[in-house]
Amino acid sequence: MFILPALIPLCVFWIYPICRAIWISFTDWDFMSPTYSFQGLLNYMAVFRDSRFYEALWNTLVFTFGTLFPTIFIGLLLALGLSKKFHGSQIMKFIIFSPWITPTVAISIVWTWIFQPDGGIANQILNLLHLPGLKWIFSSDTSMLSVILVTVWKSLGYAMIFYLSAIEKVPKDLYEAGSIDGARKVRQFFDITLPSISPTTFFLTIITMINSLQAYDQIQILTQGGPSGSTRTLLYMYYQLGFQEFSIGKASAVATIMMIITVVLSVLQFMYSKKWVNYE
Amino acid sequence: MNKKRYKQLFVSIAAGEIKILLITLISAFTALPFVWMISSCLKPGSEVMSSSSFLPSTVTWDNLISVITSSPIPTYIFNTMWISLVIVALQVITSALLAYALVFMKFRSRNILFGIIMATYMLPVAATYIPSYIILSKMNLLNTFTGLIISSTVSTFGIFQLRQAFMQIPKSLVEAARIDGSSHLEILCNIVGPMTKSSFITLGLMSFISAYNNYMWPSLITNDPDKYLVSQGLRSFFIEGGAYGTNWGLVMAASAVIIVPLLVMFALTEKWFVNGIGGETGVKG
Repeated sequence: MFILPALIPLCVFWIYPICRAIWISFTDWDFMSPTYSFQGLLNYMAVFRDSRFYEALWNTLVFTFGTLFPTIFIGLLLALGLSKKFHGSQIMKFIIFSPWITPTVAISIVWTWIFQPDGGIANQILNLLHLPGLKWIFSSDTSMLSVILVTVWKSLGYAMIFYLSAIEKVPKDLYEAGSIDGARKVRQFFDITLPSISPTTFFLTIITMINSLQAYDQIQILTQGGPSGSTRTLLYMYYQLGFQEFSIGKASAVATIMMIITVVLSVLQFMYSKKWVNYE
Repeated sequence: MNKKRYKQLFVSIAAGEIKILLITLISAFTALPFVWMISSCLKPGSEVMSSSSFLPSTVTWDNLISVITSSPIPTYIFNTMWISLVIVALQVITSALLAYALVFMKFRSRNILFGIIMATYMLPVAATYIPSYIILSKMNLLNTFTGLIISSTVSTFGIFQLRQAFMQIPKSLVEAARIDGSSHLEILCNIVGPMTKSSFITLGLMSFISAYNNYMWPSLITNDPDKYLVSQGLRSFFIEGGAYGTNWGLVMAASAVIIVPLLVMFALTEKWFVNGIGGETGVKG
């Protein structure tokens, strides 16, 4: 059978674990003991009583939307700018896309060095512009901003590539013939280009959102969820509960809540998409 | 040409210049971390922490030589390279078979199966980590490359991408080959595969990159330093150095040794990314 080679691992390492995680979230099981008992919503109550949860939920939303909008918006602008070839445009596409292929851990370490208050280049640039230096990842005021900056830096090129090929596919005869002045060009963008590429916008919104909800690598390297929990997202809280505190039940409850959030956000997107996404 | 036309021409040229200037600035910002990484690892020890100059005054290869000859980083790179290649091969094969079945074979529950695959593609993979960890520990495969490989044999993204590519092939072509007596496997290898070659190449590259860059899952199931992959290895190299004040020159050299081969690979295969990623993936919802 054709489907078995993929289906068996899919069941063992995807489908079964997801169901199993939901089940564990209703029990008091820990890694060690052979027996466990069903205890209903107790883990969920414990999570909801934990003040870290609300902070992490808020951080997750800030991080998700804080990365989503700049990535999509700047990605689209770059694609518009680079859709007509000019001297050096090929190299710029290459440069802008390159962060996406490099290991997040390695580039996060590079960014840690960039963000060093003394000797790091971020503050050197600020000094050059006669601005005061920041503490970046070392202060809870700017840590989330720093993590968002790194994430947007890494995912811009991905959005740009998708938009580039979408713009290329917009039928040329939709545009009026002849040269047009600036104002008409802007109208044309909103009337023709933007609706034509709306399926790409929709796809990128979903993908970027899912990636942001699952961001771990850069947080683990840059801030470990700190300082004082300012960059702890739900996923990071899940990691701390499950693999540092070994509260398996609570961790699984957080995982289940994350799955529910993903489903809700995706369903909302799909429903809302009927209003603005054009499939011809 | 009258005056007005000249003015318009001038404005549009100026707008074009500003656009190019802005894009150049963003590219420069994007490249900055890489340039800073290279520059830091080539600086002599005394110069790294002093913010006096952006570029090294004299180039020293000491950091790079020390990373390559007397650190575990090359071992990590070797581990990661061969494991990633095995994972890519397995993922491409399993994805191709399943995608073929989804598109060209009729069986009950076909749509349900695709629905489940899409759902698992969207759900946070981390939710599976605790139960998968337990499964691997029961199989005695924690801390082994086998465990890492068998838990990564399937890529829901790959199934999705190849399905999109296979859907472009006319069904009649496959039916005709069936009537001529070809088996499904022959059709996949001789007809469908060659027709969607570019999707296969793109998928191979993408899964190589995600396997090479993967961090969270390998780091959870491995604590034996001999079996670290690059990300986990680099992190521990970074943390160990940190106890006595991080030697940024050395850490940047280690990062460069890991990042630069990927950038070179990307430079050689760029067209497959640019055309493949945007071109054929599921823009049609």
